[in-house]
Amino acid sequence: MTSIVKETRSIKEAVTFINAIDVNKFSRLISRIIQKLHLKGERTFSEEEEQKLQAALSLDKQALNLVLETAAFILEQAVYHNVKPAALQQQLEAVHLNSDKAEVFSHSWATAGPELLEKLKHNTFAPKKLEYVGWQLNLQMAQSSQARLKSPSAILQLGLRNDDSEVQENVFVEFNHQELLELYNKLEIVQGQLDSLT
Amino acid sequence: MASSHAKDSSFLGGRIPPEIESMSKNLKDVDHDMFRRILKAVVSALDGKDCREVMRTIAESSTIPQKRLGHIIAGMYRLLSEAIRIPTSSLKQEAFKEDLRELRIPEDFITDFSSVVFGNRRAALEAARSLNDPHLPTIEELKWRVDVAISTSSLARAMQPSVLMQMKLSDGSFNRFEVPVSKFQELRYNVALILKEMNDLEKRSILKIQD
Repeated sequence: MTSIVKETRSIKEAVTFINAIDVNKFSRLISRIIQKLHLKGERTFSEEEEQKLQAALSLDKQALNLVLETAAFILEQAVYHNVKPAALQQQLEAVHLNSDKAEVFSHSWATAGPELLEKLKHNTFAPKKLEYVGWQLNLQMAQSSQARLKSPSAILQLGLRNDDSEVQENVFVEFNHQELLELYNKLEIVQGQLDSLT
Repeated sequence: MASSHAKDSSFLGGRIPPEIESMSKNLKDVDHDMFRRILKAVVSALDGKDCREVMRTIAESSTIPQKRLGHIIAGMYRLLSEAIRIPTSSLKQEAFKEDLRELRIPEDFITDFSSVVFGNRRAALEAARSLNDPHLPTIEELKWRVDVAISTSSLARAMQPSVLMQMKLSDGSFNRFEVPVSKFQELRYNVALILKEMNDLEKRSILKIQD
């Protein structure tokens, strides 16, 4: 298969820096990066942490940035193409990454890769996602316009959340028996469609 | 003294509402034609229509002083509202007529009242009245879509199905949201569960709660 990492100038430069890093420190670095890879728009390391890293790895700010970005890039490519850990190691060695460092990548990928893949599969563009389903079944006895009702009425609570917010918005919908039956029939049709996909 | 048909209080309850008491006193001075005109306007009002013009015309063309006319109209409106509230299974036509006779309403008028409450316009009137009752929004329209994400900027091959729903509610609000497949199952399961409980409830309540 085509190589997922092409040996560009910046890759060459990054490789030089990476090869110089102590392998244990590097291993911890990669673990941390892979944990946060699925979060869009979030910094992996805070300002403070980055400064500490600069000292710990003996890299200046620019060099550290290059190393972090390159490492993230390699992992993103691995996810995107869903490469096998062994193939990843080979390809990294092909761009002159030391085998101990290449092994760190392929080992992290083997361990944390599947979970990362699952998380990314569930990232979507939809404005809101249904996160919570709650309900209440009532027996309505009367209302202003009608006495002695005894009519069952269900209230559905749908908790919707925007991807980029922690706040859940609640939508309350009321159904009588007929309306609920109509909803159920629609859901059955959707289920039919989902079943036909597998 | 034996009564062939033991009845409790009138369908209006233990205390007759004052506007109805007042109406029954004032109806003696109203001829049948005028009564029918007023009745038509009152029914129109129950239906939710604006009948200020009609009322104005009636008031202008009548010899009855405005204040008394007001009492009559209020009484008729209240009488019909109360009668329509009670399901026909509980209040039968004969009982209704009896109650009106006890209020000393002329027989002709009783027949007219009765034809409103027990006639074929009843269902439409009930529906119009219930529009004012408080309730949570109901679904006006539900559209859906099943998608399979083949690939995304993060994954060349995602192959992930998802359900997109678009819900328009009776209060005008609009919600578009994605339902992950696992949540969809949960939603479907819960809706089925509520339906089952509704069925059980309907079977039970008929037996237990007496009208």
